[in-house]
Amino acid sequence: MPKFLHTADWQMGRAFTRFETEDGAALVEARFEAIEKLAQLATEHQCDAVLVAGDVFDAQTVSDRTIRRVFNATQSFSGPWVMLPGNHDAALAESVWTRAERLGAVPGNVHLALQPGVINLEPQKLSILCAPLTQRHTYGDLTEPFTGYESPEGCLRIGLAHGSVQGLLPEEIDSTNPIAPDRAEASRLDYLALGDWHGTKQINERTWYSGTPEPERFRNNEAGNALIVEVSEPGASPKVTCIPTGRYTWHQWRETLSVQSDLEQLLQRLTDLPDSAVVDLRLEGSITLAGEQTLLKALSVAEARFRSLRCERSGLQLAPTDEDIAALKADGYVGEVIENLRQRQEGTQDDAARDALAILAGLLREREQEASQ
Amino acid sequence: MKLQRMRIEQVRQFRKPFVLDNLQPGLNLIHGPNESGKSTLVRSIRAAFFERYRSTAVDDLRPWGDSAAAPTIELNFEHDNHTWQLTKSFLQRKRCDLTVGTETYSEDDAEEKLAELLGYQYPQKGISKAKHWGIPGLLWVEQGTGQDIEQAIEHAGDHLKSALNSMVGEVASSGGDDLIEEVRTQRDTLLTGTGKPRGDYLQLEKDRVLYEREIEELKQRVQQYQEQVDRLGKLAQDYDQAEAERPWEEAQRQLEEARTRYQQIEGLEQQQNQEKTTLTQLQQNHRLLQQNKEHLEGLNRQLEGRKAELDRAERDLGLAEAQTPAIAGRLAEARTAYERAEKQRKLAGLVQTRERLEQDVRRLEQQRQVLTQNLAKAKDYHQQLEQARQQARDNRTDSGSVKSLKATANQLNEETIRSRTIATRLSWQLDASAALTLNNESLTGQGEQQLLEESTLVIPGVGTLGITPGGEELASTRRKLKALEDSLEEQLKTLGVESVEQAEDRLSAFESAGRAQKHAEDLLKSVAPAGIEQLVSEQSEAESELEKARSQLQVTPEPDSKEQVPALEEAEAAFGQAGTALDKVESEDREHQARLSALKHSRDNAKTEWQRLADEEKSPERQQQLEQLTTDLANIEKQQTELQASLERREREIREARPDFLRQDIERYQNAVNHLRQTQENRGRELRDIKVRLEAWGAEGLEEQLNEKEAELDQCNRRYEELHRRAQALDLLLNLLTEKRQALTRRLQAPLQKHLNHYLSVLFPEASLEVDEQLMPGTFSRGAELGQITELSFGAREQMGLISRLAYADLLREAGRPTLVILDDTLVHSDSDRLEDMKRILFDAAGRHQILLFTCHPEKWQDLGVPPLDIQASKEQSA
Repeated sequence: MPKFLHTADWQMGRAFTRFETEDGAALVEARFEAIEKLAQLATEHQCDAVLVAGDVFDAQTVSDRTIRRVFNATQSFSGPWVMLPGNHDAALAESVWTRAERLGAVPGNVHLALQPGVINLEPQKLSILCAPLTQRHTYGDLTEPFTGYESPEGCLRIGLAHGSVQGLLPEEIDSTNPIAPDRAEASRLDYLALGDWHGTKQINERTWYSGTPEPERFRNNEAGNALIVEVSEPGASPKVTCIPTGRYTWHQWRETLSVQSDLEQLLQRLTDLPDSAVVDLRLEGSITLAGEQTLLKALSVAEARFRSLRCERSGLQLAPTDEDIAALKADGYVGEVIENLRQRQEGTQDDAARDALAILAGLLREREQEASQ
Repeated sequence: MKLQRMRIEQVRQFRKPFVLDNLQPGLNLIHGPNESGKSTLVRSIRAAFFERYRSTAVDDLRPWGDSAAAPTIELNFEHDNHTWQLTKSFLQRKRCDLTVGTETYSEDDAEEKLAELLGYQYPQKGISKAKHWGIPGLLWVEQGTGQDIEQAIEHAGDHLKSALNSMVGEVASSGGDDLIEEVRTQRDTLLTGTGKPRGDYLQLEKDRVLYEREIEELKQRVQQYQEQVDRLGKLAQDYDQAEAERPWEEAQRQLEEARTRYQQIEGLEQQQNQEKTTLTQLQQNHRLLQQNKEHLEGLNRQLEGRKAELDRAERDLGLAEAQTPAIAGRLAEARTAYERAEKQRKLAGLVQTRERLEQDVRRLEQQRQVLTQNLAKAKDYHQQLEQARQQARDNRTDSGSVKSLKATANQLNEETIRSRTIATRLSWQLDASAALTLNNESLTGQGEQQLLEESTLVIPGVGTLGITPGGEELASTRRKLKALEDSLEEQLKTLGVESVEQAEDRLSAFESAGRAQKHAEDLLKSVAPAGIEQLVSEQSEAESELEKARSQLQVTPEPDSKEQVPALEEAEAAFGQAGTALDKVESEDREHQARLSALKHSRDNAKTEWQRLADEEKSPERQQQLEQLTTDLANIEKQQTELQASLERREREIREARPDFLRQDIERYQNAVNHLRQTQENRGRELRDIKVRLEAWGAEGLEEQLNEKEAELDQCNRRYEELHRRAQALDLLLNLLTEKRQALTRRLQAPLQKHLNHYLSVLFPEASLEVDEQLMPGTFSRGAELGQITELSFGAREQMGLISRLAYADLLREAGRPTLVILDDTLVHSDSDRLEDMKRILFDAAGRHQILLFTCHPEKWQDLGVPPLDIQASKEQSA
């Protein structure tokens, strides 16, 4: 009974902006680890083949090292791999693939589908119908020739393509690289393995997007999985198992704080997140000085625990209470300055005023602490 | 605060204890002359407060040379209803004790208590300086520094503010100034004074630009790379397609075809050329034959021509021969004329020669006659000359000698006359009988004699009379006379004459002979300039010439007188003309002969030619030739026609094949082949180039680099934004804090101004002095005068300084702070009027503050209304 692993959109060679250097490096590293994990999974589940539905590389001109590392990471699965060029790594006259070949980095068991056509893995009873992108963008359905492709008797007809299934995916109207939604049926495919959509998504019984094995953006769309597909015989319904492969979970929260309990809830949710979280927080509303102190402390703890934590607080106003001010022992004109800043902040959403208030509060607090020691 | 008592010991010149007692709550005038210890007292008060008791830098307090001294200062004062006693010892015994009411403090505690009370600070180490003095620095004025109000206020700064806090109540902020400083420090790490980025902030700004540029470059390179990839794809496709279609092979085939066709046409053209050559040869042959034929046919015509020519020659000859006799006649005539003319010419020549000879004879005869006459004359003249010469020789006399003789004679004459005048005259008149003898000379009758010498007169019978002529000159005259007589005698002798007259005669004869000689010479020269001999030879010469001319004339024949002889010139001219005429006729004759012979020759030629043709015309071979020629011509014409037809045919064939186009086709196909191959080769080369280039570029991992750079830029941006916001926030905060603090200061401004005005109205009733936000007296105005306090005169500045200090004292007093005012010899630069005003001010201030006024000019302060305290007196008292 043929069984194979369906994955896509590795986007190797991508660098992560908006992160600290160290965090970015770790996230890059995790993507290599994800490939190793896929190889392991394929071995563990005794898969006959691994199909990668495009965008193995994020760009054509990635470094030689990246190219070598990608193929090195496939080592632990010795069965056949079929890799399909996607829109990021299209099989152009000169491409990342020709470079990989020139470097001699491609192992024997890795098949590069650089031409449209059929790759027959007869020992595995798999016939892979490939629709590689040979240009950066196409506006025609590259899977259309599938119908005309013949496959050996007794082999599964598996389509491998990269693009947008028309009419089904949100935000992708008029997108390039279109794929007909009924391709599997029209071309008598047992399964159509798709790439391009980074979340795991089923289109119909025989058509799936595997999604990327390691998330690389905050948009929560079920990324970080691989699919193990079993088809008992040609024509039989595929059995698709989704297996999580992602190391880091990405969270992007937009919160508005108004009362003390909002803060408490937020802190609790942060505490509940696993260490492998990559968190992007944006806080709005207002907070007391004491509350901010609590928040900063909690963020400091979380920063150390999580892979990455970024918190945007510029939209969060400081609302010192009388107790706050009393605690700061800000008498005389300094007190007046605090009041002035508070008014400015509320009145005109003045970032500078908010920051100034925070700095002033910080300085006063330091002074208090020094005094109390 | 009121200082009540002061005691010092072992301080400078006060080795023994010195006490200043009974200090009044108001004004105290403490005076003493220089060196009396006035400054030491002031220094002691300052040291007691400002110097750390354990300071090692207060050597100046030690009495001179006393290393074991422990300068001690004891102060008693009252403040806030408590009595304070301070005892401070330095150097050898370092101590500080303070009693406030019932509480006691010692060492550092005591010092801190004092600093807090008065508002100043201690130095970290070393001696206390102006910057440490705080409020006392403002109120305790050292000698000569009364005008430096601004520095003092600045140094008092923080102490003043905290001291005045109670006045402004809740608005002052504890530690607000430190906070401002902290904020300022933090701001200044990010921004410059003018608000420009600095440090990391600036660096980030620069980095950002750098990153953006790098990214832009990388993007461009990525784009270049992609363009090259696209080019590669396109090229590879074209290359493969061309390789499959091989269009150059088709072109090559066409080229071959065109070449074959062209070669065929070339063959035809060659044939055509050969036939054309053949045709040309035929045509030439035809033309020759035709010529031959024409030649034969033209013989008769030629013969006639020759006959005509012969006739013409005969005729010409006949004409010429007919002219011959006339020409011969002219020639003979000319010769006769010539001979005649020649004869005439000779005759004329002979006549002319005879005439010339006759003339010569006449001339020579005449010449001979003249010469003969001259010779006779010359001989006569010569004789005359000889006579004159003889006469001159006989009478030769030197005219100079005669002149000198005459002179001597004249002189003798004169002397003789002179001697007579001086000589003794002896005159006598004797009786006829009587005779006398004078000097042996007898005298008779009457007479007279002049006696120049001693004379003896013998009178017979009487005796002898001696006469001696008198006079001195007589002797010399007598001698001179004698000399002259001698000279005359001598000269006469030399001249060979008897007398002077004779000499003159001789001279005259000599001179007339000279003249005669000259005259004879001249005459002789006129007739015989070269001498008589010459004249003789001339005469004989003329004689011989004459002889010769006569003989010539004789031999010359005499012409026949009947004949008419023309003049020689005419004969010569006629002869010349006859010669010329003869020459002309002779040359005409020669020409005629030549022409005659030429005509004969041409007549003979014409005859020969005509004869030859006439013979030929009659030969049978000629007829035969003519027939042969006609046949040959017919043959050749037939051949020509055939050839021309063939040529035309082939010409058409060649023309229709368009060989020019064929040539162009070959070129075109050749080019096409080359071009197609070249294009393909170029593609191949470009493909290889692009591949190599892309391989190199690909290895650089451009997009990955770009990704990384973008990440770095993002980070840089984030950091920049953070710092930017922080900078804005700090700037805002600093501005706000500063603003608020200034507002606070402004609230202190008003009361200070009030106190200042109080004093100022005494000093300058119409003036105003404004206190600025820093609580400094600043702008001063008086009537139209407006300026800063620092622009005033030294005296005025000192006065302003003092009233400002007093105003501060008033302000401090209102805030419940201690105010002790110490003035060390102040106001020395004030004039008496101002000093008077200042005294009023000080008296007024003394109602609120204790004032210690130290001076060495007590007389100036007599009217202060307080008893002066004499240091000198107190010293003695203490002792």
